[in-house]
Amino acid sequence: MLEGLFGNVIVEKIFFFLNTYGEGYPSGIANTFGEPVNRIQQQLKRLEDGGILASRLVGKIRLYTFNPRYPFLKELKALITKSYDFLPELEKDKYYRMRTRPRRAGKPL
Amino acid sequence: MKIDWEKIDIKSLAAIISKKLNEKGIDAILVGGACISIYTENKYLSGDLDFISHASLKQLTAALSDLGFQRKSSRHFIRKECPFFIEFVAPPLSIGDEPVKSIREIKTKFGKISLLTPTDSIKDRLAAFYHWNDPQALEQAIMVAKAQKIDLYEIERWSMQEGHEGKYKIFIKMIRI
Repeated sequence: MLEGLFGNVIVEKIFFFLNTYGEGYPSGIANTFGEPVNRIQQQLKRLEDGGILASRLVGKIRLYTFNPRYPFLKELKALITKSYDFLPELEKDKYYRMRTRPRRAGKPL
Repeated sequence: MKIDWEKIDIKSLAAIISKKLNEKGIDAILVGGACISIYTENKYLSGDLDFISHASLKQLTAALSDLGFQRKSSRHFIRKECPFFIEFVAPPLSIGDEPVKSIREIKTKFGKISLLTPTDSIKDRLAAFYHWNDPQALEQAIMVAKAQKIDLYEIERWSMQEGHEGKYKIFIKMIRI
């Protein structure tokens, strides 16, 4: 949907993911969409270099979020939020309505 | 003028880089921790110099190679013997969602440096404190506030607009200690 604007379908997926869940790490995002991790990492790095995303290390994982200091963040998020409304329900269910509440360690399910 | 790269200070390096970029027709503004080092006379010492420029990385790489700097990764440049590394942060020049409107110029024996004003340097550091709870950034903002003449009304206006009244009050309390 925004692929034409961003020139890349991976970027669109990353934006929807971060707009929905607030944060994400490369392999988690890659697993969600069934994309190779290196393709996700490449775009995350590009977006971080552009000041759009920010990252920090949590243990051994590099966690990405939108950069709250990006001057056009409000406008970018408004665009992403609006275009998200146009996604098919099936796609929303599949990728953007995953469980985010905690799960106690050792719990079988 | 011969440059002792091992012993160079951050202000001189900023001036040398700025002069070289200007010679190549490139405008660059010094931002980030290096401004704090300059305004506090190295009470806080940054390890890198962050510039913002609208020039392409190709142009920047060519200009800095004249000084012996090599592009290390994406936007970073290093030079053998030089203790600081250079980074070109993605434009635009902004603090929060506002463009930066005034720039300070400092003259050194190596040339001029264009950099954030002390007030904008504080806002830049406070942005890191406001958004990421970074205590070091707060400490640096306090150092500049105590060392330089600043516009507190402007910092207050901007802080309110960013929605961080509570954290602004912490900053104000700390600079009055």
